[in-house]
Amino acid sequence: MSVPTTLRCLVRPSVPRHVPRQVAVVWAAPFSTTASLAANPPKKKASAQMASIRSGKKMQLGKFKKKAPGGRTGKSPLPGERKAVRKRIQLSNSNALPVPGLAELTSEYMADKVNAGTVVSLPGTVQDELRVIEAFKPTQYWGMFRNPSMLVRSETVDLIGRMQDSAEKKQTLKLVVSGDRLTGKSMLLLQGMAHGLLNEWIVINIPEAQELTTASTEYAPIPGTDPVQYMQNNYALKLVQAVRKANEKTLTRLTTAYSHPELPQNIPINSTLMQLANSAKEADSAWYVFHALWQELMAKGQGRPPILLTLDGLQHIMKVSDYRSAAYNPIHSHDLALVRLFTDCLAGNHQFPGGGAVLAATSRGNAPRVPSMELALSQRAAEQAGAEIPKHDPFFRDYDTRVEASLKKVQVLKVSGVSKLEARAVMEYWAASGVLRKTVDEATVTEKWTLGGHGVLGEMERASLLTMRP
Amino acid sequence: MHPKLNIWSACRALSVRSRPIFHWPQQCTAAAQARSIWIDSPSTSQRFPDQNASNLHPFDVSPSAQEPAPSENDVALSQLQMAAYGLDPFDPEVEGHKFGMPSLPLPRDLHHKHRYDSVVVQLTKLLMRDGKLSKAQRDMAMILNYLRTSPPPKVSPLRPLLPGSPAPSQLPLDPVLYLTLAIDSVAPLVRMRAYKGMAGGGRSLEVPVPLEARQRRRTAFQWILDVVNKKPTKGSGRAMFPNRVAEEIVAVVEGRSGVWDKRQLMHKQGTAARANLNNPQLRKKGQ
Repeated sequence: MSVPTTLRCLVRPSVPRHVPRQVAVVWAAPFSTTASLAANPPKKKASAQMASIRSGKKMQLGKFKKKAPGGRTGKSPLPGERKAVRKRIQLSNSNALPVPGLAELTSEYMADKVNAGTVVSLPGTVQDELRVIEAFKPTQYWGMFRNPSMLVRSETVDLIGRMQDSAEKKQTLKLVVSGDRLTGKSMLLLQGMAHGLLNEWIVINIPEAQELTTASTEYAPIPGTDPVQYMQNNYALKLVQAVRKANEKTLTRLTTAYSHPELPQNIPINSTLMQLANSAKEADSAWYVFHALWQELMAKGQGRPPILLTLDGLQHIMKVSDYRSAAYNPIHSHDLALVRLFTDCLAGNHQFPGGGAVLAATSRGNAPRVPSMELALSQRAAEQAGAEIPKHDPFFRDYDTRVEASLKKVQVLKVSGVSKLEARAVMEYWAASGVLRKTVDEATVTEKWTLGGHGVLGEMERASLLTMRP
Repeated sequence: MHPKLNIWSACRALSVRSRPIFHWPQQCTAAAQARSIWIDSPSTSQRFPDQNASNLHPFDVSPSAQEPAPSENDVALSQLQMAAYGLDPFDPEVEGHKFGMPSLPLPRDLHHKHRYDSVVVQLTKLLMRDGKLSKAQRDMAMILNYLRTSPPPKVSPLRPLLPGSPAPSQLPLDPVLYLTLAIDSVAPLVRMRAYKGMAGGGRSLEVPVPLEARQRRRTAFQWILDVVNKKPTKGSGRAMFPNRVAEEIVAVVEGRSGVWDKRQLMHKQGTAARANLNNPQLRKKGQ
């Protein structure tokens, strides 16, 4: 050791060295320090490497600078608000010109062959009722015209004729509306519902079958059922309330035939069905109220009116649902009680006392592929046409016997494009509303008819009502 | 001599014919044209429902029921007769065209690449992100539908639209006009161009430059999109972005939009800097 260094050791330091004292004294049980350590975690010491980095400066490696992350400002919408905006249905456009002299829909209008190929407007009361049972879809072009109006096509006359026949004979029409995309299947259901409402049928509509099976609504097993069936109380509540509002006049007229001890509210015999429907106030008992209402509607010898049961998006209830049982096994859609009720009606297991119809429409926009349903419908269509009946694919094993059993007795109504005369009628309505700014002549009608895939109405709407067609 | 040039054959062609010389394939065209309606014709309203009731049901109208189809022999005979009258029986104007030949030159909108309005096409391409033209077109269709269904705008006298524009009540039913009017009304006339270091002392020389119509529209729509992108979203779904754009367009027409201030600022800068056009350096550069 050199001399100056050794001498320096003897010099007393002028500035006393600061000795950091241990200040954190933890009073805790001697055998466990975990909680207190978690409460006051020891601070990490800044390592030598970290200290060398100057704060706020970083080496720029890329050519472009990254933007500072900008958070969303403002209040975010409440739950359900966005969906409400997306699903909003507008039925009127005050800018469109009124079409004077347009016939208004009456109870017999759509059954008359002479009226095929005419445009008819919906009366206000029917509009309200159809809106309650969600017959209008947000993708339809109602919002472009002054008043909701629709084309009565030959398929409509056909369907309404069959409905009337079955009601007169007190039979149940079981029919599946099928066809290509945008051909007007849901529209045909809507026309059936409008006819039912005007003729004082009881109309029950399931607007989107996928709401029942995509595990988006609550479910619970029904006690005492074997094999276990499941009720969907929230959906049942919505359905009962819609049925009550849409069929108020008819339900007030009818009276109960049975006592219903399982209901929380006492409904004596001979009270109105409206009272029964009104007792669905909470979701807990909604399924039982719906079941009781259905039993009442099925009561024989009570002068029950015809019933119309409709469902859109048939594929969704013809497959295994997204729900799971208590043992975590997938639940078949037909084990859901509400779906079971519909498929039983479609299979012809329920005879409506006053006659009526069970209508289902397939969907092409958003629907799973169900080979059993497709096969069954093509078989029924071939049977009706007298053609060769298609057979099972022997190399395919995922056919569903329950689905095939439910579609054994249905009639199939194929919907395709409209004829040129019908296309002309609807285009004249568009032009008279001021939405289509063109002369409606033979050439225009043919042009749009051809652009719309030989009269597919939805495509014709896109070709003529949208200024720019994506 | 060619039969067409023979004066007697022409006289024969004028004579009264006991039966039609040629079976015209377009049976119902005349009737159809008589029934055709114009959206602004006053007779539309009276004629519309009557036609529906009387003529427009598909069950009792079938061409075969009205008149039997002519036999091949009849067709050949009528063709011979036409040849005798000096007409060409296989003239493309007559034969094989259900709706006749189109008149040339073709109108612009009959070409499929130019079928939309030019302003709409330009704005659609400005809406496009990531090269997704189809999505941009859907957005544009939704913008136009929003304009069609929203109530007529209340035009502010402080922010007048282009002179000669139609009454606001007529705008919604012509959404393309509505959109064009909004864009053209806020479009700036000039842009500022900076010449670096030309003002002396390292300062740039700001000079107003006039814009072409397309450039003006582009600037105006970019301004509108800037405003739209800063607005908070109100919901999800595919209609939400177009709705925000359309709301801003309505705001432009009603004079509520901040885009008007941008335009005013740009014009003010242009007016202030117009003296710079006489800058000797700039002149030297121009020569």
